[in-house]
Amino acid sequence: MYIELHARSAFSFLGGSSSPEELARACATLGMPSMALLDRDGLYGAPQFYLAANKLGVRAHIGAEISCVVGWRYPLLVTSSEGYKNLCRLITRMKLRAAKGEGAIEAHELEHRSGGLICLTGGEEGPLAHALRSGGKEAARATLERLCAIFGRENVYVELQRHFSIEEERRNQVAVELARSMRLPLLATNSVSHATPAQREIMDVFTCLRRHRVLANAGRLLSCNSERYLKSPLQMAALFADLPEAIANTTELASRLQFTLKDLGYKFPTYPTPNGESQMEYLRQRTQEGMVHRYGTQNDRAHLQIQRELSVIEKLDLPGYFLIVWDIIRFCREQNILVQGRGSAANSAVCYSLGITAVDPVGMNLLFERFLSEERGEWPDIDLDLPSGDQRERAIQYVYERYGKLGAAMTANVITYRGKSAAREIGKVLSFDPETLNRLASLVSAWEYTDSNDTLTRQFKDAGLDLSNHRIHKFFELCQKVQNLPRHLGQHSGGMVVCQGQLDSVVPLEPATMPGRVVVQWDKEDCADMGIIKIDLLGLGMMAVLEESIQLIRAHHKEEIDLGHLPQDDPAVYTALQRADTIGLFQVESRAQVSCLPRLRPKCFYDIVVQVAIIRPGPIVGKMVHPYLNRRLGREPAESLHPSLESTLARTLGVPLFQEQLLRIAMIAAGFSGGEAEELRRAFGFKRSEARMKDIEIKLRRGMESKGITGEPQNKIVRAITSFALYGFPESHAASFALIAYASAFLKCHYLAAFTTAMLNNQPMGFYQPATLIKDAQRHGLKFKPIDITCSQWECTIGEASENFPVRIGLRYVKGLRKETALQILAQRHLQPFASIEDLKQRAPQLQKDELRVLASIGSLNFISNKMRAHRRSALWQVERAGRPAGELFEPYLRTENSDPSSLLSPLEPMNDEERLVADFHGTGLTTGRHPMAHHRAQLSRHKVVPASRLAALRDGALVRVAGAVIVRQRPGTAKGFVFLSLEDETGIANIIITPQLFEKDHTTVVHNSFLIIKGTLQNQDGVISVKAALIKPLHLSRAAAPAHDFY
Amino acid sequence: MPLAVLFAAVYVPNFILQAIARSEPELRTQPLVIIDGPPPTYQVVAFNRIAELLGVARSMTKAAASQFAQVTIRSRCRIREEAAHAALLDVAWSITPRVEDAAPDTLLLDISGLASLFGNENEIAREIAARASAFGMSVHVAASSNVETARIVARALPGPTIVPQGQERRFLETLPVGMLSPSPELADVFDRWGVATCKALASLPLLSLSECVGQEGVRLHAIASGKGMRPLLLAEPAQHFEEWFELDEAVDDLESLSFLLGRLLDQLCARLSARALSIAAIHVNFKLQPAFDNAFDTSRDLLRVKSSARTFTCNLELPAPTRDGKLLLKLLRLRLQSHPPGAPIQTIQMTAQSSLARVTQGSLFIPTAPDPDKLELTIARIAAVVGEGNVGAPQLLDSNRPDAFHVQNFSMVAVASSGSNNHSKKESETNSRYHASPTIALHAFRPPVPARVQLQGNKPASVFFHGRSGKVIHASGPWRTSGDWWEETPWQEDAWDLEIVLSGESSPEQSFYRFSYDGLLDKWFVRGVYD
Repeated sequence: MYIELHARSAFSFLGGSSSPEELARACATLGMPSMALLDRDGLYGAPQFYLAANKLGVRAHIGAEISCVVGWRYPLLVTSSEGYKNLCRLITRMKLRAAKGEGAIEAHELEHRSGGLICLTGGEEGPLAHALRSGGKEAARATLERLCAIFGRENVYVELQRHFSIEEERRNQVAVELARSMRLPLLATNSVSHATPAQREIMDVFTCLRRHRVLANAGRLLSCNSERYLKSPLQMAALFADLPEAIANTTELASRLQFTLKDLGYKFPTYPTPNGESQMEYLRQRTQEGMVHRYGTQNDRAHLQIQRELSVIEKLDLPGYFLIVWDIIRFCREQNILVQGRGSAANSAVCYSLGITAVDPVGMNLLFERFLSEERGEWPDIDLDLPSGDQRERAIQYVYERYGKLGAAMTANVITYRGKSAAREIGKVLSFDPETLNRLASLVSAWEYTDSNDTLTRQFKDAGLDLSNHRIHKFFELCQKVQNLPRHLGQHSGGMVVCQGQLDSVVPLEPATMPGRVVVQWDKEDCADMGIIKIDLLGLGMMAVLEESIQLIRAHHKEEIDLGHLPQDDPAVYTALQRADTIGLFQVESRAQVSCLPRLRPKCFYDIVVQVAIIRPGPIVGKMVHPYLNRRLGREPAESLHPSLESTLARTLGVPLFQEQLLRIAMIAAGFSGGEAEELRRAFGFKRSEARMKDIEIKLRRGMESKGITGEPQNKIVRAITSFALYGFPESHAASFALIAYASAFLKCHYLAAFTTAMLNNQPMGFYQPATLIKDAQRHGLKFKPIDITCSQWECTIGEASENFPVRIGLRYVKGLRKETALQILAQRHLQPFASIEDLKQRAPQLQKDELRVLASIGSLNFISNKMRAHRRSALWQVERAGRPAGELFEPYLRTENSDPSSLLSPLEPMNDEERLVADFHGTGLTTGRHPMAHHRAQLSRHKVVPASRLAALRDGALVRVAGAVIVRQRPGTAKGFVFLSLEDETGIANIIITPQLFEKDHTTVVHNSFLIIKGTLQNQDGVISVKAALIKPLHLSRAAAPAHDFY
Repeated sequence: MPLAVLFAAVYVPNFILQAIARSEPELRTQPLVIIDGPPPTYQVVAFNRIAELLGVARSMTKAAASQFAQVTIRSRCRIREEAAHAALLDVAWSITPRVEDAAPDTLLLDISGLASLFGNENEIAREIAARASAFGMSVHVAASSNVETARIVARALPGPTIVPQGQERRFLETLPVGMLSPSPELADVFDRWGVATCKALASLPLLSLSECVGQEGVRLHAIASGKGMRPLLLAEPAQHFEEWFELDEAVDDLESLSFLLGRLLDQLCARLSARALSIAAIHVNFKLQPAFDNAFDTSRDLLRVKSSARTFTCNLELPAPTRDGKLLLKLLRLRLQSHPPGAPIQTIQMTAQSSLARVTQGSLFIPTAPDPDKLELTIARIAAVVGEGNVGAPQLLDSNRPDAFHVQNFSMVAVASSGSNNHSKKESETNSRYHASPTIALHAFRPPVPARVQLQGNKPASVFFHGRSGKVIHASGPWRTSGDWWEETPWQEDAWDLEIVLSGESSPEQSFYRFSYDGLLDKWFVRGVYD
């Protein structure tokens, strides 16, 4: 029997071309009882390899190839926990002292960390080959002796590889001779870098990417043949027929590799209580205090629930975990950082009492077992939403400080090859020129949706590319093959892991690109699979908006807003939601939400929870949206999927909308155990879930058949459950989001200036561009003032109450103006107002000519002289003069001249309305003046174009013409090729539906024009207004246009 | 009133397209589209009015343009553009020796004092247009006492246009400021200022303008005001005359070929005639269609890297210079009848050597070497016999493919620097330490010799080649290589080192051979013998 003990996966980052799962599968297919994965300088792929192998009944040996500063790599195999710790620390040490993606050990470092490790001599990159190349046989002998001294004679194996290479065979002959003379064991390996011969092509592509070459000039850097694939024991035995002991030794060595990732040795830290009380006691005290604050002293139901939860927490020995999260929350509150827990933690009354979440699970009847259950025996998952930016960073740094650099780290985010990145890199190595690359990359987004007429061949042909061309065909093939293979390691947006003791002995750590950050080599799913606890500290743009709004309200309205105590039934909020007047609101502003709101007509908080959850790919693909809305409108009876599920689905009118309901259905209808339901839950939230869901579907059907649920009801249930793999919300998570959505609506309805200012100051975020946010706020009566160098700040600001809180646009919106330059201008202005453009240029020397030109063209320099107002062109004239130094001789003269207001005069004509509009959009991407469409309304009315606001008054089925600026283009994967446009005019937004046939015909018009005029049929269904386009024409009104939010 | 100094500007509108249509005048009456760009992403770069009326637009893809069924699509041909530009220069030089080569599509001429030869400025302009037309080009001509005004007006108006002295500003005022070719930065400034026409620019106060945008602004202001005076930068008349023709469909009969050769000869003769020169020699280079790939189904050709397009050369040295196109055509026909190209012709490149002798002087310190032209000619002659790509020095390629090399043209090799010598010395020392055993030389067979091999348990057991058979005593291998999978011609090879006892007419002979098995062709070859 042969066992492969030297294989690399794609987690060697461009050093292997198969996923660990593929390798494990190939290993199982070939009947090998075990296999070792030795990725380069890391254990990145180890968890996936371990899990996949476990499932297939293969034993996964762990190891790594460790780079040495001298240029070779030591293949190391782990025999015991000690070896694993040594390997993790060795990798951490070399990684943390080097730049990201680099690092190597000094040879002497192995001396202190060799325990529990076995060293192979490697292939062409190993120490033996290196020694042979540089110093011949004697150097090779010396190297082997050194390895024996470090690892012990019994832990060094002389590795032999046969890839049909004459050079390699020469090396093998010397290696055999040395091994025999030194009595060292021989070991056959195939130094596998791909599971199948066909994957050699990807390996060659990766080699080019690693060495910054293209295939055409990579020459001998590429593999010389396709032999580094996982070979069967028979093939290997035939290859080494002359050296049977090299094959036999693989089994002997494998039997020595006792360590598996099951024995990780991870422990969650203990919370240090102040007075020596137990963690549980301390948690009880904190929960009691919080409960009084949240529920008062009279709420028996809450009291009972909390006691029940505490007993579960105690049984599962989890008080430390809750205290650590509570500690982060306490820090945030002390630092005035807005924080809110989300996810399944919102099911817990203890979390609510501790202030971790803001949703009352007792009041909302949420299921605690979804959060924590005795039978699952799994760590709870608490996600904390923080304001994105500096505030979140402070919270993260607090965790680092509290648990030490080697005790806390961010989880990794494995960046995989996806459509565009794959297309770009593969195109590059195939030597496509930049223009072709752009075309190919732009095609990739279209691949995400294809219908029968929209074949790839046609898409390529349309783009002027011929799939029968060998290279283009190869490109397409490689793009498909490379999908989902890891590209590099990033940092997860907020997942942190903490450890009692040294995290670096559990998983290798490495530096992140961001200074001061350390990441573990595993992503959050791997961490969860390996039982490492993660706390998500996520940045949410809307939290930053809420926080800034509260500050602005405090400063300008002199009012204090507590998000925890907002009036729950504010009529203005529900009216806005029912009218779908939701631009800028959290989670309910998208085009799909807007077309659902008038049908769902939210009347209470729970309706918002449903609203947030229903527009998700899960419920949409699961065909749950229409049944729910019809039932709500009384058009069909609220029947359950099956009589046994009535109580589970009663709250959502018999339609499953939340993850909890789906889990409960699986338990009731298919007899899933708690553990199986948990597996299902994991599959819901899992990126790599497709294969898992297929397994689960088989179990579901079997379970339902045994309970007599067959035919259509069975299909419906399966569809409902499996479609959730596409993404659906748990109820508690939807409730947390609904709270934020409600808060954003409340602030927009009552403090529009503060909310809009905060929105503008936290861009980019949300669904709409700033230009649209401003037009929407203007339609709600808010006044805006343009950017003015004499009074604008970097951020947008609010003006006087006496003027009804107008919003002054900040300098951050000047395109190309660097923040440090703007701050220099503000500092100088604070010392003394500027007298002229020349004065501004003199006192803010960082200001570049291009920045000045933009400032002048948007009119921000019009008021710079207090003696007379300039127009934009006269400022532009001055800018050109100021940007050209006159020299020392004329400087004093020019200074005197510039203080003269007449110097602001220019021979240029002032801009007209259209030119101002164009300059505004080019310089800031928005305008505080009239909407571009307003300038042409009279002309449009002559052509019978209906303003967006008047559409609601027209009858369903009427033929209408609408026109406007395209602010959103969408072609969702769930909409069968339909395209949705949002056209904005000065009165509002018109929603357009384009059939796939019309889109195919007018593709260029739709995609490439900023303004469109559309003729079509008005659809007014349950208050949802849209126009089904029949004729689409470009509208050449203005060069002024904000970029649209395109999703297609 | 006669003008003191007078300039004419000649502008070829839609130059890219005219460069193609010049040698194929029948295309002018069809919707014609020129595409350019790297394959496969061709884009439309030029088209005629008929194509425009059908809906063709600039930057369309080739696929989009080909949707218009009637449209003729041609690829942009820079060589033809160079020829058209050279022809345009010949037209100009036939009028005056004082010519500025302003752009591929624009020439500036000093036409002062030509009245006695051609008449007034209007007649000169018409003469230029007529001569250009005889060369197959339709041009705009403008004359003015101000060279820049002439240049801009020629670009803007079809002409012939005569700008009377003092009227320059009036002619320019409605033209867009972009026609003055400002730098991108200044064009941006003008755009921001709302300065769109020459009139708007000319009306700006000069001093303030100079303070704002510097000397470039001042220069453009003067041009826009019709006051931009400058001398011409005279071009040196070229001695090289070349014409090209690229065929969509290759021709293989002498009659069709004669027609095309006649056309090219007429163009060349007209150009030389305009310069009062004669033809001393003609070199015609034909690019042949690679149509015989299947005909050479021999092991030798199958092993070659994909053959590049072959060429055929026909040279005509004339005892006395001539401009008689018919005579030249006859001579060429005779030559081609006796030495036919042997394959359909795709491209014709015709170069004329003018009768003026070439005068050169070599360096005193360099040993006498053959005249490079003559050497090139000799090599070309050898290449015509042994085949293109078979003359030169072999150079190893950076490839895993065994015996990968290509033949590079001969070139003067500079003495390698001492640094690189040291480096290679060090490398060879290191290699020699590792490869301590003496190396055996392989006497390579090029092309490899086809062979038949019988296997026994995946190893060669007996071989047959060159009519001899041999028994394998010892086999070492396979040494497996494969690559170029992204190309249309990938390779895959198993090499074996065999010790063979060859039976022959005389006594058995024992040797070491390198054999290879081509996995894609499923064929065996003898690669060489170890010395």
